[in-house]
Amino acid sequence: MKVLITDDEEDYRTIASTCLGLLSGHDVVEASSGSDGLAKAAEENPDVILLDLVMPGMDGQEVLANLRQNPTTREVPVIFCTTKGMFDGFEEMKKLGALAVITKPFDPERLGTQIKNILLTAGKLRSAD
Amino acid sequence: MRRFNLDLKISHKGFILVLVPLVFELVFLIVLSVLLQNAETEVQRQVRSKAIISQANALSKLFYDAGVAMGGYSITKSPLFSDRYDKIVRQIPSDLVELKALVGDNEKQQAILVRLQAITSDGLKILGEAKAAIDDNRVDVAQFRARHMYKQIRQLADQLQDELKGLTEDERKLESLSPEEQNRSRTMVKVSLVIGVVLNIAIAFGLLYYFLKSISLRLGTVTDNSFRLARGQRLNAPLKGSDEIAHLDDAFRSMAEALAEASRKERAVIENAADVICSIDMDGKFVAVNPASYDSWGYYPDELMGRRFIEVIVPEDVPDTIRAVRSVRGATSKVSFENRVKKRDGALVNVLWSADWSEKDRALFCVAHDITQRKLVEDAIKANEQRIRNIIEHMLVGLIIITKDGKVEQVNPRTESMFAMRSHELMGRHIMSLFHDSTLFNVEDQNDRNAFMETLFTKAFNRIGEFDCIKNGSEDFPVEISLSELTSPDGQTRYMANILDVSERKEVERMKKEFVSTVSHELRTPLTSIRGSLTLLAVGAMGGLPDAAKKVVSIAERNTIRLIGLINDILDIEKLEAGKLDMEMQDVAVSNIFERSEQAVNTFAANNGVTLEFVPQLNVMHADGDRLVQVLVNLISNAVKFSPKGASVTISAQEIAGNMIEVHVTDRGRGIPETFRNRLFQRFQQVEASDAKKKGGTGLGLAICKGIVEQHGGTIGVESEEGKGSTFWFRIPKAQQIIKVA
Repeated sequence: MKVLITDDEEDYRTIASTCLGLLSGHDVVEASSGSDGLAKAAEENPDVILLDLVMPGMDGQEVLANLRQNPTTREVPVIFCTTKGMFDGFEEMKKLGALAVITKPFDPERLGTQIKNILLTAGKLRSAD
Repeated sequence: MRRFNLDLKISHKGFILVLVPLVFELVFLIVLSVLLQNAETEVQRQVRSKAIISQANALSKLFYDAGVAMGGYSITKSPLFSDRYDKIVRQIPSDLVELKALVGDNEKQQAILVRLQAITSDGLKILGEAKAAIDDNRVDVAQFRARHMYKQIRQLADQLQDELKGLTEDERKLESLSPEEQNRSRTMVKVSLVIGVVLNIAIAFGLLYYFLKSISLRLGTVTDNSFRLARGQRLNAPLKGSDEIAHLDDAFRSMAEALAEASRKERAVIENAADVICSIDMDGKFVAVNPASYDSWGYYPDELMGRRFIEVIVPEDVPDTIRAVRSVRGATSKVSFENRVKKRDGALVNVLWSADWSEKDRALFCVAHDITQRKLVEDAIKANEQRIRNIIEHMLVGLIIITKDGKVEQVNPRTESMFAMRSHELMGRHIMSLFHDSTLFNVEDQNDRNAFMETLFTKAFNRIGEFDCIKNGSEDFPVEISLSELTSPDGQTRYMANILDVSERKEVERMKKEFVSTVSHELRTPLTSIRGSLTLLAVGAMGGLPDAAKKVVSIAERNTIRLIGLINDILDIEKLEAGKLDMEMQDVAVSNIFERSEQAVNTFAANNGVTLEFVPQLNVMHADGDRLVQVLVNLISNAVKFSPKGASVTISAQEIAGNMIEVHVTDRGRGIPETFRNRLFQRFQQVEASDAKKKGGTGLGLAICKGIVEQHGGTIGVESEEGKGSTFWFRIPKAQQIIKVA
């Protein structure tokens, strides 16, 4: 499973990619901004995109909207990853087209399983994975 | 001596007055008529007697004349005698008929007349035979017959004479009697007339006396009674009888008794009145005072009589009192005025005077009512009103009184400043015009107004509702409004709107939210990296660590997790208390909640050596699944924390009355002291102060659980027995329709 991590925080990207790559054995591609994320999504054809909501420049919502407009990336599942609290309108976020919301700080050991379960529930997990 | 008195009414007496003379006159007239009739009859009888006598004499003479004529004819055969005879013979029957008519019904005379008729018939027959013999020239026969005839005629004539004599004698007798009879009749008429007139006069005087006695004298008694009543004297003895005057006398007596009773009562009222009742003469002196003066003013009535009433009035009030008294004399109705009376003991009494001027008595009649208590109450009410007005005017909350249909009737100064309008601009307008809604809808449209009022009452009647108001035409500001009903003295329903401008609070809330959001973001971002790094180190992802290093990294990781939990809990509780809980309600299977919770706490339970026992459940709840998992995880985590190693925690659910699902989390831990149970769901409460450190709790978990459950319309609680364990439960509404659980 190839995961595209789009987040402006380098520390976060490092930890998340280590957790997903080293601990869970997934392929990880990192993008440091919204526009970078859009480009990588088109180039790398990821199985899922872990997208930060609050980013300078193009924020998560904008990135999602652009992904949905591009035929290549239209179907790629997106999971928001945010520091916002439990009650900050997850449902609103889901309505934008995200599969789920994972709050930061996440449980490093369970991150991979968590993403996999979300895809499984939504029927978006490719059989090869 | 028994008085002559008939139980007759005046109308009956009047009837007698008319009827008695009338009857008497009628009787008198009848008697007179009878007497006159008798006299008339007597005269007629007298005339008839004379006619009968005359007729009888004429008949007798005719009979002789017939004989004489027949004699002459027999001798001379002269037609003169023959004609004479024929004439007489024709006249005799007609005279007999006349005589018969005159005799009439007199039986005796009729009998005579029958015989007379037979005699004349025989005589005429004989004369006829004689004439026939003469006419036949049978002179012998004629002469013989003449002789015989004469004899017979003479006998017949004598008989006739006798009979007629009897007839005329009767009549003559009657005739001779008549003048005497007439005299007697005349005398009777005269006597009757005299008696009639005398009786008439006597009856007239008798009736006059009777009426005088029965009406005038009795009326005089009634009149006298009225004078006696006016003078206060004893009334005459009651009139006897049942006529109108007796009734009048009776009614008069009843009236007199009623007046006496009323007078007694009036006197009793005056003497027992709590108010001072008095009369004051032209010189301003008391001429009558009731006993209330002692209780009210401390003066006995005798002490006040003759004193000028001004003397008891407080000097400062005298000029106004004099003016008021002067106005009473010119007034047509009662005049009221107030002043103060100085009591004998020097205390002052507030008095309300009600005064009336009697021109007849040349005096003032006054009632003085003590209004001291009322004044005190009025003053207290005024002071209270002033106090309330001060409070209202200085309130930080705007107050608007509106009518049922929303018209502004009254506002306080805070309302003026809140809406940047003067009170006269606010009053009279519709309350909708002060709201943001007025920019969206038409204030002048009754339907829009009604819709607005409905919303206003639904959201704010007896509760606090949030609205947006406008000032200066367009500037919006948030307010909290509470409406309550006011009972107006005029019986009309009005409503009081308490309006609190919450602009500042909203701004603070916004800033707080922003702050919390910022802090949350700023704290979580580094914590994500710290925790990730520590976990990666701890699990050896970065290569193996010495045991001592592993231990320290583990401590760092555990405390980071605790810090993250604390931050999460603080953010959650802030959201809950701000009522900003964003809930996604849907039908969710209890089994699903159980599964997700189990996944979340399984490792933790295992690490603590505690077994989790989930009792399978098929019910479906209507809830936000994520939040219920949060609640259940919190309760299970607590149960695990306080369970001894090797113990088990049971999680079950059941349907209960009221369409609710009750979820239980039962542990076999130390239990919760009873004194603490009430505070258990409050923030930062721990059974023991060391628990936070030992068990890693923040003291916010149960408060968050309570908030979430209550947002679902449910309840949460605990049952516990110290030393044996606790059962935490929460109740959530059941789904309305059963969904198939996979």
